[in-house]
Amino acid sequence: MSAQRRRRVLLGLGVALPVVMLVAVSAGSVPLPLSGVLASLLHGAGIGAGAALPPSSETILWVVRLPRVLLAAVVGGGLAVVGATLQSVFRNPLADSGLLGVGAGAALGAVAAVRLGWAGTSFLALPFAAFAGAMVAVLLLYALSQSLGGGTLHGLLLTGISVSALAAAGTSMLLVATEEFRVKTVLFWLAGGLDGRGWVHLRIGGLVMLGGCAILFAGARVLDVLSLGDEEAAALGMPVHSARLALLALAALVAGAATATAGSVPFVGLVAPHALRPVAGSLGRHLLPAAFLAGAVLVVLADLGTRVISANVDLPLGSVTAFVGAPYFLLALRHADART
Amino acid sequence: MSGTPATAILEADGLSVRRGARLVVDSVSLALGAGEAVALIGPNAAGKSTLVRALAGLLAPAAGEVRLRGRSLRDCPRDAVARAIALVAPDEAAPATITVAERARLGRYPHRGPLRPFTAEDEAAVTRALARAGVQPLADRPLATLSAGERQLAALARGLAQEPAVLLLDEPAAHLDIGHQLRLFRVLDEVRREGVGVLAVVHDLPRAAAWAERLVLLARGRVAAEGAPASVLAGPAAAAAFEVCIRAEHLGGRPVYLFDEQPTPRG
Repeated sequence: MSAQRRRRVLLGLGVALPVVMLVAVSAGSVPLPLSGVLASLLHGAGIGAGAALPPSSETILWVVRLPRVLLAAVVGGGLAVVGATLQSVFRNPLADSGLLGVGAGAALGAVAAVRLGWAGTSFLALPFAAFAGAMVAVLLLYALSQSLGGGTLHGLLLTGISVSALAAAGTSMLLVATEEFRVKTVLFWLAGGLDGRGWVHLRIGGLVMLGGCAILFAGARVLDVLSLGDEEAAALGMPVHSARLALLALAALVAGAATATAGSVPFVGLVAPHALRPVAGSLGRHLLPAAFLAGAVLVVLADLGTRVISANVDLPLGSVTAFVGAPYFLLALRHADART
Repeated sequence: MSGTPATAILEADGLSVRRGARLVVDSVSLALGAGEAVALIGPNAAGKSTLVRALAGLLAPAAGEVRLRGRSLRDCPRDAVARAIALVAPDEAAPATITVAERARLGRYPHRGPLRPFTAEDEAAVTRALARAGVQPLADRPLATLSAGERQLAALARGLAQEPAVLLLDEPAAHLDIGHQLRLFRVLDEVRREGVGVLAVVHDLPRAAAWAERLVLLARGRVAAEGAPASVLAGPAAAAAFEVCIRAEHLGGRPVYLFDEQPTPRG
């Protein structure tokens, strides 16, 4: 875990992200020339003169692709940071936001919005309902685990499973009671995707995700001390209980915002930190920024994949990340076996 | 009680601790002075580990109190307690990928809190702690690659990096070979000469007697005997607590303790 190697990884990811994003805004059903895109972006940033692309291409770049790619980066980064955080808090490399009931709660909120017809009235109704669902699930989880499980990690895990199962049951019941033409809206949302997301999603969701990540970065040392275990953390003067709650609340906020804007995007929170731990180490201050960059690269690429793999249909983003993530884990398993 | 220092840093006064419904530590009073070496001995399940954790402020007393420099731990802020008292306990909870040096650095948390950056003073304390615990060569190794004994020394390095006034250790020598055991107790003597009060749970009675200035014998949660090692081990309380016969012989001016099973009562 040499510092030099760590810096190289961070630098590599820091270079890779803008490159991948540039490719992602250029590629698609209407390919845009890289040089023109670069000139237009620089012009937008106040550098260079005149529009570099024809007006229709300018619209595609600035209205459709740029906010989408930026959102993909923030969602991916946010999910990876949440994954890394929860893995430290639960001291389990397989922890992710699903443990907090975020996904199941968000799904229930989304289905409720569709079933009640809110989703038709405003395009922001569904993400807001999903976010609300996620937060309600997390609050319920917290209240139940406090009153029944005494706030232990074990109690939190069991309560999380129960709350998720309840939310999933509610989702199924609502889906059955929903008109067929509306079911498709929900299914698309559940499958994850950034189709049709624009600047407004980025402004609202991005703010929550980036803000949450920034606080997690700043408090990385708390995460490290907690990862030593409850007893050692308490012996170092850490208020274990409240510190853990604060971290879980931040993680839930970021994951809730990510799920509300992009639907379900599995495996990013697992794969990015898992791949980086051997090179970045497990200290939060090293791992979280690297995980953010890696998660961002991963989802920007996955979103690009949804647009370019098939000329006829946009693939669901969640399926693409799962297609990448699941084999990764199987390979990691094989390597782990080979080493022992 | 004999040997209670006049200027105690850490004191337990009528301390009782419950684990669930069970009273594990029962009205224990003891004091640890600056630069003092005390070994806490006692049979399994005597309440030694619980007592040590209560002394570190990790378990709330059911009765009585623990005082740090005369002030009840209840009234001390957490970080102040963690700056004054370091607990080194055998645990496998630390993440496997963290390195020895990184773990020792977290020992500076009580001094800097979550946000303040580490200073040269912190780095110097960490370097000193690693060198002293003898784990400098392992500094960049992840914990997963260490043996149990090496992990124990890494935990000690974290405790030393805290630069506490009191060092509490729960079975610090459990996985160490004889060479490392001797080294460990030499290190404890070094820090004690700098004025740190050291209290260690030690299972190996001859080792405890050779190292400590004072033994505290805990049996069924109570202090059964306390005082100079030779007198505690020779006393009836030790034999009763461990259910053994203890005999001291002298070899080259040093006491050698011999242990035998007590004859089983007939009938």
